[in-house]
Amino acid sequence: MSSRKQPKGKIRPPKKPNSADAQFNDNWDRLAQAIREIHKKNASILSFEELYRNAYNMVLHKNGDKLYNGVREVITQHLEEVAVSQVVPAFPLSGASSSQTNPNGAGGANFLKVLKTVWEDHTTCMLMIRDILMYMDRVYAKTANVPLVYDLGLDLFRDTIVRSQNYPIQNHLLEVLLQQIKLERENEIIDRTNVKASIDMLLELTDASTKDTVYATDFENKFLETSSEYYRVEGQMLVGEYDAPEYMKKVDKRLNEEEQRVRHYLSQTTEPKIRNIVEEELISKHLKTVIEMENSGLIPMLRNEKMDDLGRMYKLFGRVVKGHDEMKSAISDYIRELGKAINETVTSNTTAEGGNAASGDKQTGATVAVRWVQEVLDLKDKFDKVQNLALSNDKAFQTSFNEAFEYFINKNSKSPEFISLFIDDNLKKGLKGKTEEEVDSVLDKTITLFRFIGEKDVFERYYKQHLAKRLLLGRSVSDDAERGMIGKLKVECGYQFTTKLEGMFNDMRISSDTMTDFKEYLDKSVLEKPKLDLSVTVLTSTFWPMNLSASPRCNLPPELTKACGTFQNFYLGRHSGRRLTWQSNMGTADIRGSFKARKHELNVSTYQMVILLMFNDKQDGESLSYEQIKGESDIPEADLKRNLQSLACAKYKILVKEPKGKEINPGDQFNFNNDFTAPLQRIKIQTVASKVESEGERKETREKVEEARKHQTEAAIVRIMKDRKTMEHNLLIAEVVKQLQSRFMPNPALIKKRIEALIEREYLERATGDRRVYNYLA
Amino acid sequence: LPNLSKDLSLLLSENEDYNMIINVGEQPNVKQFKVHSIILRVRSSYFRAALSSEWAKVENNYITFNKPNINPKIFEIILTYIYTGTIILDESISSDTMSILEVMMAADELCLQEMID
Repeated sequence: MSSRKQPKGKIRPPKKPNSADAQFNDNWDRLAQAIREIHKKNASILSFEELYRNAYNMVLHKNGDKLYNGVREVITQHLEEVAVSQVVPAFPLSGASSSQTNPNGAGGANFLKVLKTVWEDHTTCMLMIRDILMYMDRVYAKTANVPLVYDLGLDLFRDTIVRSQNYPIQNHLLEVLLQQIKLERENEIIDRTNVKASIDMLLELTDASTKDTVYATDFENKFLETSSEYYRVEGQMLVGEYDAPEYMKKVDKRLNEEEQRVRHYLSQTTEPKIRNIVEEELISKHLKTVIEMENSGLIPMLRNEKMDDLGRMYKLFGRVVKGHDEMKSAISDYIRELGKAINETVTSNTTAEGGNAASGDKQTGATVAVRWVQEVLDLKDKFDKVQNLALSNDKAFQTSFNEAFEYFINKNSKSPEFISLFIDDNLKKGLKGKTEEEVDSVLDKTITLFRFIGEKDVFERYYKQHLAKRLLLGRSVSDDAERGMIGKLKVECGYQFTTKLEGMFNDMRISSDTMTDFKEYLDKSVLEKPKLDLSVTVLTSTFWPMNLSASPRCNLPPELTKACGTFQNFYLGRHSGRRLTWQSNMGTADIRGSFKARKHELNVSTYQMVILLMFNDKQDGESLSYEQIKGESDIPEADLKRNLQSLACAKYKILVKEPKGKEINPGDQFNFNNDFTAPLQRIKIQTVASKVESEGERKETREKVEEARKHQTEAAIVRIMKDRKTMEHNLLIAEVVKQLQSRFMPNPALIKKRIEALIEREYLERATGDRRVYNYLA
Repeated sequence: LPNLSKDLSLLLSENEDYNMIINVGEQPNVKQFKVHSIILRVRSSYFRAALSSEWAKVENNYITFNKPNINPKIFEIILTYIYTGTIILDESISSDTMSILEVMMAADELCLQEMID
């Protein structure tokens, strides 16, 4: 037998409305009373089972809506009471005066504390109410499509407390929150727990219309607005008061603080927004001002190599769109400026030199070149260091720096010559005092400068000249270093660039073999042996930079002419069909000179030997005039002056000149210096082997380069046309430029002229239909 | 899985280490069940709420709970289901439509949706 009459009664339709109503009222009264007890924190006297059963029965009897509305009413009533009795009394001293009379925000903090308690009480109560109304949530709320009771509680709290229509709770709350944040920004200690509790509360409440959190709709925008304003003012204040490094430190600190703030008590969604504001107000708006700060901006940082500050600026400015661009262009401009200054010291030096050019202190020329390259290298080093230590090796910066270097290096039209001279200087003297590794690293750096040169063909020409002199005059200190350098150039420009240079080395090797053979030949031969040791280097004319047509004239002494003849017979006997041209301007000779004090062995150039031998026939004190020497020797004027200078005006004065002076002029008289003394037995008379070219020589070089370019351009055109057979004008130009630009930048007018020349010589023709198209003629 | 179910039913019948007493039914038809609160909690949201620190009543170290509006026989079926996941109906109940309805109502009150299904 079942004792459960009640459920049976429940299932019955409400035929007895009175009894059902009474039951409902009874059930509801108990529940309402219980909820009040929960609000009073008196839940321990309540029975979960009973209350649950009451609510269950009400829902079961289709009184869910009455129950739901009743609950809403009881909670609203309670929250109204809470607003009046707890929240309103905790308002900080009202309005504007509060922030002044109560600068530490203690009132505000207290208000937040009260709100925190109110909120915690509310959520705790709602959890218990949810427990006893579980059946209502499950059965009624689902079907009636109303919020679950806990969410109802949140909505009620939002409308009754946070957005109360009756009391300015919302205003106070926002004002206090913003004030607390402001205090914290001004280095006051605030109670973050209370702020966080309020923020969390706002995050849990949902705005009915936007479905967003109340935090987002009510608080966030205000927070961002006030932050914007705050940092706008702060930015202006800071740029006025601090130098660039200090400013950046402050900004760094601010960014860090805001990030920490978000992490500690705001919503993570606010993080990018507040970051943007700080970046905009403190970085974007003051980019230029900070970069250009006098005595502390970007340029002073570079000048004083403040790597930490530069690194900070790089990181900081990288946060905003234009930041790195501004830095890049400022640094590039600075590089150009420094480069221009380096270029100017050269021109001022060379013009100064030009003033006493006749004095012929040609060493200065080479020194200028070496110094120019050294300064450029130092500059490069400096910015490599900046790039490395402060700019995280940012490729974009590297590119921009390279452009700046390229710009000013090519502004100096002598840069190809200078760089070649610098290499010359290092390969000549380098190994003295420097280890091979050091020289190698200097040369590696030089290669980086070489890359910047637009006219690589001009460099090649100079390099050949300088290399030729090093090889022929035996000035090159290390064969390995020379080959190393050529290897580097090969890597940069390919083998075409270096075949001729390698050919020069080959000639040197073959020549030394030839000389061994020649000696054997002389030993075996019945011919009269030359009275002197002749050493000949046979050069392939196309590899070497000497000009055959303008082969230097010089009247050699008869013994030498004879020796040369012997060699010529020997050589042509072995290699028929070749032609030998004597380059007397490149030779050296060892001669013995008797002076009053002692004998000295003199190592001199062929020209100097010719000059000195003239004095053999002269009596003591008998002098020769410049014109006599010139006439008798037939040495070209420039070379003659240079060699006389070495003999009469340099360290070792083998000749005495009248009148004295550093320059050689027509009409000068020369005497053999019998009184010459020197500590060493063997004396090397320095000839100036490498020097910066004079204007005339430069012009000549230029012409040669232009001539070579014509050939290269034609060769490129023919190569391309042979492959394509027919091609449109512009495409052809573009292709030619592409093929040649690694050596030099051909201008279209030059290419056009070459095309015309090729048409004339019937390599190409214009297409009959279209004048802009060319055909290749096999 | 059948073993798990069997072992758990032993836990109920031998009530080892029980920590909760449920008094079911109205006088004089009251039956006392000795159960394990932890199993009730994980199996039923009703009991999870009832056993939360806010609501649970402890007497003599046992959690005490009264459920007057359910017949002990019906409750036993519910409890067996909670422990083992199986519904065991004996002759007297399975033959009585009213009793089956009672089981379903009790399951509904206790939020055992799965059992009703």
